[in-house]
Amino acid sequence: MRRTRRALAAIAVPATALALVLAGCSGQTSTAGGSSAGGSAGGSATDTLTLGMTADINGWDPSAQPPYQAWGIEAVYDQLVQCDTSGGIIPEAAESWEISPDNTSFTAHLRPGQKFSDGTPVDAAAVQASFEPLIKSASDRYGGVTFASPDANTITITWPEPQPLLNNRVCSPQIASAKYLASGDLNTAPVGSGPYVFNAANSTSGSIYSFDKNPSYWGADQYPYQHLELRVLADETASLNALKTGQIDGTLITPALYDQAKSAGMSTLQTSVGIIQFQLTDRAGEKIPALGNLKVRQAMNMVLDEQAISDQLFQGHAKPVHQIFGETSQAYIKDLGDPYPYDVDKAKQLMQESGFGDGFTLTVPTMEGQPWLPILPYVTQQLGLLNIKVEQKALTGPDAINQLISGDYPAPLWGLGGSSDSIQDISIQVLDTGFWNVSHQPDATIDALWQKIVTGNQDEKVAAQQEINKYVTENAWFVPIVAPFGFYAYSNAVSVPQMSDPNGGHPLLRDFQKN
Amino acid sequence: MFFTLLKKLLRSAVVLLIVLFATFALMFGNGEGIARGILGLGANEQDIQNKMQQLGLDRPLLVQFWDWLTGVVTGDLGKSYFTGETVSSALQNRLPVTLSLVIPTVIIAVVISVFLGVAAAYYGGWLDRTVQTATGIGAAIPGFIVGVALVFAFAVAIPLFPATGYVPFTTSPAGWVASITLPVITLLIGSIAGLAAQVRGAVIDTQSRDFVRTLRARGVSEAAIVFRHVLRTASGPAITAVGLIVIGLLGGVVFAEQIFALPGIGQLLNLSAQSGDVEMVMGCVLVMTLILLIVNFAVDTANVLLNPKARIS
Repeated sequence: MRRTRRALAAIAVPATALALVLAGCSGQTSTAGGSSAGGSAGGSATDTLTLGMTADINGWDPSAQPPYQAWGIEAVYDQLVQCDTSGGIIPEAAESWEISPDNTSFTAHLRPGQKFSDGTPVDAAAVQASFEPLIKSASDRYGGVTFASPDANTITITWPEPQPLLNNRVCSPQIASAKYLASGDLNTAPVGSGPYVFNAANSTSGSIYSFDKNPSYWGADQYPYQHLELRVLADETASLNALKTGQIDGTLITPALYDQAKSAGMSTLQTSVGIIQFQLTDRAGEKIPALGNLKVRQAMNMVLDEQAISDQLFQGHAKPVHQIFGETSQAYIKDLGDPYPYDVDKAKQLMQESGFGDGFTLTVPTMEGQPWLPILPYVTQQLGLLNIKVEQKALTGPDAINQLISGDYPAPLWGLGGSSDSIQDISIQVLDTGFWNVSHQPDATIDALWQKIVTGNQDEKVAAQQEINKYVTENAWFVPIVAPFGFYAYSNAVSVPQMSDPNGGHPLLRDFQKN
Repeated sequence: MFFTLLKKLLRSAVVLLIVLFATFALMFGNGEGIARGILGLGANEQDIQNKMQQLGLDRPLLVQFWDWLTGVVTGDLGKSYFTGETVSSALQNRLPVTLSLVIPTVIIAVVISVFLGVAAAYYGGWLDRTVQTATGIGAAIPGFIVGVALVFAFAVAIPLFPATGYVPFTTSPAGWVASITLPVITLLIGSIAGLAAQVRGAVIDTQSRDFVRTLRARGVSEAAIVFRHVLRTASGPAITAVGLIVIGLLGGVVFAEQIFALPGIGQLLNLSAQSGDVEMVMGCVLVMTLILLIVNFAVDTANVLLNPKARIS
């Protein structure tokens, strides 16, 4: 087409800009190791495991890592010990250990001969350097901790108070090289002693992370793949498409995509995502007098049809629960049954007897994307039958979490808890210092039982936990509703014989085997 | 004319400052909330205060803004609170991805829209009606649905293109083209719909002017009339529309990058805003606002060059 010179210029300028952008900027972009054309299985070549992550890796600082979707962290770092799925610990960097009878100190004996990727040895100094940042950054769990090491391969970590959650305390931190930790730059590339080494040249931050096998890792046999690639796919449709077209071997999916994944021939594992429950924390009735009345709390427990919620609102991908503790936890009471069966008439009667038959207003804080939001209309309707008016308050912005647990909303509805570690859940939800006990009202019975957990032997611990469970159930401290299922979907390029994650959230890196 | 452009430049700079400060105030206004967002639910009061001090969030807002602004001038935009990556390096890595979507879309949209708009205006009849219907549908369908449909049709059901991911041009030119094809088509649908309608309207308008009749009477060829005279007059509203299209594309890349998992600025802005990574958000806002202002300025300049009437401000 003939154009005026000016019109030509209008085309030429963006074209030149495009060329400049491609030439100039792509020189600085690190090349992505994993490209895929068409639908060919780019990621499931026999020796590379490619996994999708729904969130980015948060830097490489070993002391600041969330335990969820931490395959990259598991790849490059070792821990002192690993927490297993029944509340115990198994060897990692430490091959054996002793725990003091009063649960205040942990003595670890390290495997000899391990090295970090910078050549420095995995020794007591490295372990100490790895725990030290937590003293300040997680002072409620590691404040006042001291260290002693009689030789390079032995270290004793001592807390000022007995730790009922000692296992959790020693299996959480990642062990990194002391030199690396002191260097101040913890986010460019990690320096650990794990089964894989980070390959920065083949990685693009925020998009693709590439790792190569560490041949001198003590447990190298557990990891059959020579290469690991993690792809950040924040949108669930994108990650399912990538799974279907073979770009990745596995990813977390929401129940909404379960049917699609199954019909595309994927295998799935059911994962635990907590229990949707009300925390009725204002048991003294300070902010909401009605919540101070036991019958009102019991009525709230009886007005929700949990089976219907599971079947219809979650399409069967959930199950009713009657206790706030997970089935595999020590606090769980096996034959408790349903202490508050679904009975709307009985609930109404209880409300009348309580003297609060005219009901009250309950403000329920909400946040976008929460998986329990689908049940809110039903909960609103049912509580309405008891004259309890549910008002929603959407929390947004950086202050949202602050507001949620501030105590302004004495009865938040949320998905949490239900883990295999009931001592952890008690400390968070039941103790008056727990951050989910948002009204922080003290209770002498609970405090006495907690002391038994802190100082007692194993049997006393279990008995005290079950006592706590009975107490909070009889006093309707909570309204446990349903435990929704999450899913992990994977293609037939891999096999996942078990899920080692103690939180039951997803398979760990060591669980992926070749098919 | 020079002073007109200079005044526009100054106005753009003022707009930039206002937008940046307003965004900064919104994002950094609640230092405690930011610290809480980083440390999580279990953090106690002391941890939060420590974190705020560490990040400089306890200083007055104007001091923080001035600090950030001086940092921008020296090229230091801060670091992500979550990944520790510097904002400038993240933006550098991601800008080519977004530009790989925006620039081809604009170029192809202009070419096709001019072609369609002129053809519709000149030939009228069934062609005109077809173009009008098609652009109406294209403008009405949400871009998100177009993207999802394209992925399903041409990446999953018939594996012609990759479903996700971006291949840099330097790694593989063919791979690059394959990885941006579906996203660009997604963005093109809405862009062409808007632009073609604008061009058609402007051309029809100009066609009916007296000077066109005079040119025809003087025996100037139809092609010369269209391409040398009509287009130049009709270009005013069309170029303004191009400016609006580019601005719309900056919003469109947010969902396109999400559907196709492309590591661009739109995706970065989306994820940083959700997680409360305020330094990153400010960096993205800076880049996007700069692009917007540059595009506006370019549109104004092009108008001034092409249309003498716009030279008086």
